[in-house]
Amino acid sequence: MKLFSSLLLLLATSASFLQAQVPGPAAVKKKRIIPAAEQAAAAGAAQVAQNRSLVKVNATSQSYNLHLPWQKESPGGRRGLGVVMAGNRVLVTAQMAADATYIELELPESGQKIPAKVVAVDYEANLALLESPPSDRQKAFFAGLKPMGLDTSARIGDEVFVLQTGRVGDLIKSPLTISKVLTRRYIVEGSGFLVYEANNIVRSEANSFTLPVVKGDKLAGLLLSYDSKNQVTTVLPAPIIEHFLKDVADGSYEGFPGLGMELQATQDEQFRDYLGLKPDAPGVLITSVLKGGSAEQAGMKKGDILISINGFTIDSRGDYKDPQFGALSAGHLVRGRAYVGDKVEIKVIREGKEITLEGKLTRRKPEDYLVLPYQFDRGPKYVLMGGMLFQELSRPYLDSFGNDQRGGAILRLDRIATNPEKYEEQGRKKLVFLSLVLPTPSAQGYEKLGGQVVNKVNGKPINELADLADAFKSAKETWHVIELDDFPHILYLDTFNAERDNMKLLDGAYRIGSLKRLE
Amino acid sequence: MFPVLTANRMNPRLLLPLLAFAALTPVRAQPAPESATANQAIDVASGDWDGVVNIDVSVLVPDYREPWNAGQPSGGSGTGFLIGKNRFLTNAHVVSDATRILIRTSNDPEPHPARVVHVAHDCDLALIEAEDAKHFEKLTPLDFGGIPQLNTEVIAIGYPIGGDRISVTRGVVSRIDFRPYSHTSVDSHLAIQVDAAINPGNSGGPVMQGGKVVGVAFQGFSGRVAQNVGYMIPVPVIKRFLKDVEDGRYDHYVDLAASDFPIENPAQAKALGLNGGGVGVMVGDVEPAGSVGGVLKVGDVILSIDDNPVLNNGLVRFEGELMDMNEIVERKFAGDKIKLAYLRGGKKMESTVTLKRFDPYVRLGATYNQRPRYIVFAGLVFQPMDRNLMDAHQIRDRTVSYVFDNFLTDKLYVERPEPVILTTVLPDEVNTWLAPYAQSIVDEINGVKITSLKDVQTALSKKDSAFVEIRLLEKSRPLILKRELAEAAHPRIMQTYNIQGDVFLGQE
Repeated sequence: MKLFSSLLLLLATSASFLQAQVPGPAAVKKKRIIPAAEQAAAAGAAQVAQNRSLVKVNATSQSYNLHLPWQKESPGGRRGLGVVMAGNRVLVTAQMAADATYIELELPESGQKIPAKVVAVDYEANLALLESPPSDRQKAFFAGLKPMGLDTSARIGDEVFVLQTGRVGDLIKSPLTISKVLTRRYIVEGSGFLVYEANNIVRSEANSFTLPVVKGDKLAGLLLSYDSKNQVTTVLPAPIIEHFLKDVADGSYEGFPGLGMELQATQDEQFRDYLGLKPDAPGVLITSVLKGGSAEQAGMKKGDILISINGFTIDSRGDYKDPQFGALSAGHLVRGRAYVGDKVEIKVIREGKEITLEGKLTRRKPEDYLVLPYQFDRGPKYVLMGGMLFQELSRPYLDSFGNDQRGGAILRLDRIATNPEKYEEQGRKKLVFLSLVLPTPSAQGYEKLGGQVVNKVNGKPINELADLADAFKSAKETWHVIELDDFPHILYLDTFNAERDNMKLLDGAYRIGSLKRLE
Repeated sequence: MFPVLTANRMNPRLLLPLLAFAALTPVRAQPAPESATANQAIDVASGDWDGVVNIDVSVLVPDYREPWNAGQPSGGSGTGFLIGKNRFLTNAHVVSDATRILIRTSNDPEPHPARVVHVAHDCDLALIEAEDAKHFEKLTPLDFGGIPQLNTEVIAIGYPIGGDRISVTRGVVSRIDFRPYSHTSVDSHLAIQVDAAINPGNSGGPVMQGGKVVGVAFQGFSGRVAQNVGYMIPVPVIKRFLKDVEDGRYDHYVDLAASDFPIENPAQAKALGLNGGGVGVMVGDVEPAGSVGGVLKVGDVILSIDDNPVLNNGLVRFEGELMDMNEIVERKFAGDKIKLAYLRGGKKMESTVTLKRFDPYVRLGATYNQRPRYIVFAGLVFQPMDRNLMDAHQIRDRTVSYVFDNFLTDKLYVERPEPVILTTVLPDEVNTWLAPYAQSIVDEINGVKITSLKDVQTALSKKDSAFVEIRLLEKSRPLILKRELAEAAHPRIMQTYNIQGDVFLGQE
């Protein structure tokens, strides 16, 4: 609230302000653009150009408290520069939209503002499209703006510009030269996406979660990060943006596909000999094939030597030769260059023979994982019973513990998240655990517990949190029986007193609004 | 995050280990009046305290990073006191890793070489003897008292920092409690807290009351953490040690190796079949390899131990005081029996179990007087996982941290009693691709599952394949060495890195 009333002031003192204000998940925070040193005054003075495809985006975000999931953290502001796309939509990074409670668009020159909503977001690809509901005001807002086209042709050595706007909408351009193209994860856990890396100084007008990068007058990418110390910039490139926009345009958003396998480089000569690979032969070793993934459905097996995907040879590093970018990780062949539902042709060597596998590309959704890899916009699921708080394990929850706090219980949970196979085989969809015990009469003696995986409640196996909520309805005695994977293995809770304490939690000192969130 | 309430295995808050050992002067002569009339003069020249000696120790601290090296020479000094014919009691930490021990008395400048007779790291006590007993024949040994009462006066005698000559400090007994012993960091026993100054150098010295020894000063807090908190090992622990070694061998403490969980919850009490009265503690975990493995089960309620009723928080009334029920186990010896009464499914049951040491926990604590064991092959260094190793290598690998941290809680010792870690890859042409895999747990070598360092030797001697195949726990690829190349590189690497022997599997 304060953020918007004093925006002018903020622009002047942006650096320290945003650092202090942006809470948000750690992953998002890390990628915040670090302000560059103040530019010499002389350089910017001559430019008064405007760009009719840019709007300022102000977002307020508020994430849920992962340890007390009925609460939200304090809200914080994020700003960026969105790019106008066809249909009066505005493209920003997903970081801008994550956990947003209020988003508004602002004309750089006049300062006119209009509220906006997220129409599509992909946290893995770190992209979001915003839209303002149609109205006269909306029409007037977009009247002077024109969509910016995409340019996916940028390659190593090309010069591109980071765009920023000054106090009165004046355009500020910082030149960059693309020096590297690689794949890397953006803001959440998961496989790598295409990234341009560029070197130069980016002067920072205001701390920002989205800044456009253009080649000529077309969009070549969005700024991902800027390391002011080493003057290295990373850019989320146009090919990924194009993929995202095409996917959104067809009405149903599928996301970026993956093969669902892990591979291992084979440069080590002794290892090659062991695998039976000839000295100059291409190929990488498949070390694991994810259940239900595209690779498994195509018939790929652990121990196969992958030699080509869609006609592109995979070398011993796991790279293919991209016509535009040169050597690039094989993952991009699927993730960046193909869509969910596309056919894929994979060649492997198995028992000395080359075989061709065919399959359809799929994407594993975050909900498909035993441990949620990321979660935005929604509160963590939980069930409170008589002061005992049960949750489903998530990566953000584990990451909320610093490295120093990773004692026995967190290490155990973290290991399950990294090696979920055993628990998935047991039929578990999610890992339910006792995360905290609030001091209530019915949970007397259990206050110090936390971090134990729940196996059964009242004799019923707990494969996800909804099972637990159900199981609490069917106590066989006047107490609930809760069976844990770890010490002390078994807990009892008085059914009547637990309900009584539930009522007290709703009204009492903890001011808990709801005893569960299961959606 | 949660308590593990097992005898001898509570996670101790880290007490600052005593770095310096103090020397001690003879204590025996002047009884300190219990009525605290304070300052009774002590005449050092009388010879009454000659039984309290300064122990000067030269040490070799083993090198777990370069296990083939002898280690780092170091030294220290502490205190000891005569308790019998040529038998001096001191702390284990005073004489740990010693290469030379010298005894000096306060009235004789001559150093007398000494040697360790028995050492008990789990209770931080040691018995040493002079190589030539003659010199000490005329001295009178100190006598032991009992457990002193709270707020009664004691004096601590020794050679702490601050000077060379004997020192006496005075205070009262502040607390009697079950406490972690920082020497191993995994053992807990009865300890007595005193507010007499106990400083580095006091270690091993007597704490006296009424002319009798009531404890051995052994650890304290740094002044930055707490003031006037010193600890001594009380007489029951000392006597247990002396009795244990009577047969010429130290057999260590025994343990139930089960974790208890208090019964404070009304529903829990009801469900477990208890009807009030505050008797009975729940079994929360049982170590299958421990004394009660196969006897007690999770969810059993221990009602009594050797006919002493166990309260719902795991305490027993023993010798007039409320104490941890493990205190009863503490006083026993390997092979002794203990009677347990417990409730299972509402039915009262009784069992008598034979107590034994629970070995797997030992590697979680610091160990001493041991040459590090290792195997080097083609520049790959294999070492067994234990605390000394973890501390020396500062291992951060997630899998290794998990295995070390949950060795007991997840019963990992059952499958892998001695996890072996590939700690270092000494770079050479033959292993240049393997360096990133250092600090991993070895799962299999040449098809042989690795459950101890010995298995590594066995597995490496299998020569039926042209490749040496090393599989690591939770790592994506096997490490492959061509046998021919590896065997050719081995002597070269040994020479380059100045390694005298490629295997040390221990003295046994």
